[in-house]
Amino acid sequence: MKPYQLLPFRFKRFDNNKVFVVNETGEFLFLSPEQFNRMISYDLNTRSPIFLDLKSKHILTDTSVGSVIKMLATKYRTKKNFLYNFTSLHMVVPTLRCNSSCRYCQVSSKSANAKEYDMNKATAKKTVDMIFRSPSPLIKVEFQGGEPLLNFKIVKHIIEYAEKLNSLYKKHLEFVICTNLTLITDKMLKYFKNHNVYISTSLDGPKALHDKNRPLQKRESSYDIFLKNMRKVRQHLGPGSISALMTTTKDSLEQLPAIIDEYVKLGFHSIFLRALNPYGLAKKDLTALGYSTEDFVEKYKLALNYIMDLNLKGIHFAESYAELLLTRILTPFSTGFVDLQSPAGIAICGAIYDYNGNVYASDEGRMLGAMGDDTFLLGNVNHNTYKEIFYGDKIRSLIKNSCLECLPVCSHCAFQSYCGADPVRNYVEQGDIVGNRMVSEMCKKNMGIIQHLLELIEKNDKDINSVFWSWITKRPLNRTRGKQENISF
Amino acid sequence: MKEILKKVENRQLLIEISKEIYDKKAAMAAAYKFTDRCYIYVNSTLENIIEIYFKAKESISTPLEKIAYEYCNELLDQQVRLDVEASYGNIRDLIVKQAFFPIENIEEQIKT
Repeated sequence: MKPYQLLPFRFKRFDNNKVFVVNETGEFLFLSPEQFNRMISYDLNTRSPIFLDLKSKHILTDTSVGSVIKMLATKYRTKKNFLYNFTSLHMVVPTLRCNSSCRYCQVSSKSANAKEYDMNKATAKKTVDMIFRSPSPLIKVEFQGGEPLLNFKIVKHIIEYAEKLNSLYKKHLEFVICTNLTLITDKMLKYFKNHNVYISTSLDGPKALHDKNRPLQKRESSYDIFLKNMRKVRQHLGPGSISALMTTTKDSLEQLPAIIDEYVKLGFHSIFLRALNPYGLAKKDLTALGYSTEDFVEKYKLALNYIMDLNLKGIHFAESYAELLLTRILTPFSTGFVDLQSPAGIAICGAIYDYNGNVYASDEGRMLGAMGDDTFLLGNVNHNTYKEIFYGDKIRSLIKNSCLECLPVCSHCAFQSYCGADPVRNYVEQGDIVGNRMVSEMCKKNMGIIQHLLELIEKNDKDINSVFWSWITKRPLNRTRGKQENISF
Repeated sequence: MKEILKKVENRQLLIEISKEIYDKKAAMAAAYKFTDRCYIYVNSTLENIIEIYFKAKESISTPLEKIAYEYCNELLDQQVRLDVEASYGNIRDLIVKQAFFPIENIEEQIKT
């Protein structure tokens, strides 16, 4: 008779001669190869510390298997909590017009006077009606573009109609506007304050880099206007009312520390080191803008070290992708990042409504649509019902083919609990929504970053642990440090 | 170590593995992991042997022998995965089922 029962786990051998062993819900341990071999040969002493560690992580058990299944099922349900609410993120494109000419523009935006690319009032109304059909108790409406402020009239119409509908539905309703800030006025800010609209903007780094990557069509410095208006936003809406995103181009890759310094200097508390996505102009001009995934991961690691040092010097500042992954690795909770879900978050977590009423499964799907490929077009608010769009054959097929648990290689990948499926990216890179993981750039990037984070965790270094927990708990280091000093993973 | 690699022709190697030791699933899963670096052909013979043919892709500079030896280690890991999965039977399925639709008399459903 076996002295213990192995529970479902996955494993991966790391270069430091450690075997990473992880259960179905992401709880893990590092074993020596000898300990690993003894574990799978049922040769561990059931009173040894390593056995008890493995038992506490639910990788094996010598007690009732039924009780452990119930416990793991509860944890599994918590990890998959994002499935319960269905679509909560609704991205709306009030216009494709834009006053910027970003080098990597992924949405094929139109010139600032091309008004035929504006959403009209009837489509806006039907879009909001469609959004409120979602069963989710949380509705986040995120305005994207183009530059949404070029069609501020429709932005207001959508906000006010959504608020009116919500007086009946009583959902938790949030608004975010993604803007380059260059057109924002005091009047708009007053409106945003009255309607609790949060601002998301783009900042690519110091002036020279930002102006190079994100020039305005009128050739003024976009950075100077950005800076002036960012201060204005904070004055009107408060210091925490604005967040920024950056896109990493070939030029940026060589100056990540300077970009991080710029974010710190301007009072941001985090940065998302986002790799270039292969859509729109970014795909057309990869020679000038692109780089290899290996290069990105290496520079990302250096930048992460740089950010951790800043934290240890007393500056509370997080790298958002690491923060997200660490929350998945070190806590039992589900996180709401559409690109890292299994099944994929397309449509079931977030959907995008284009200026003409077209509904796409994801923003990247819309980007493909702008390039003439409607593979991820689910329907149109003017012509299709909610059921046809969100429960149709297309979305069912996409979701069915985006469960890591049954995708080749992902199904036995040790990082499965922390990662997600991205059928749109697979389709763009390989012409197939399932894709071959061995040649997937997204897989290469996620594997590189997740493994690096795990190696840092394995060091069990007091400083690293404290920084990581300060990011997860979103509290400055001096408030988490005392509590975490004696904690090891 | 016994000579396990057979050179078929320039930039092509063959590894023969025994079906008595390795499962076809393990051979295939391991082979799939080398599809970024090699063209791979898997064949079964009447003599209880699985043949794995490797042909390096044009852009790959790593010696093919090294890739093939890496395959041997990956094959072992894939076989361990299968063996371990067999030992915990349907527990993974029960965890997922229980998570979304509680199962009555769970102990009676366990097959290990």
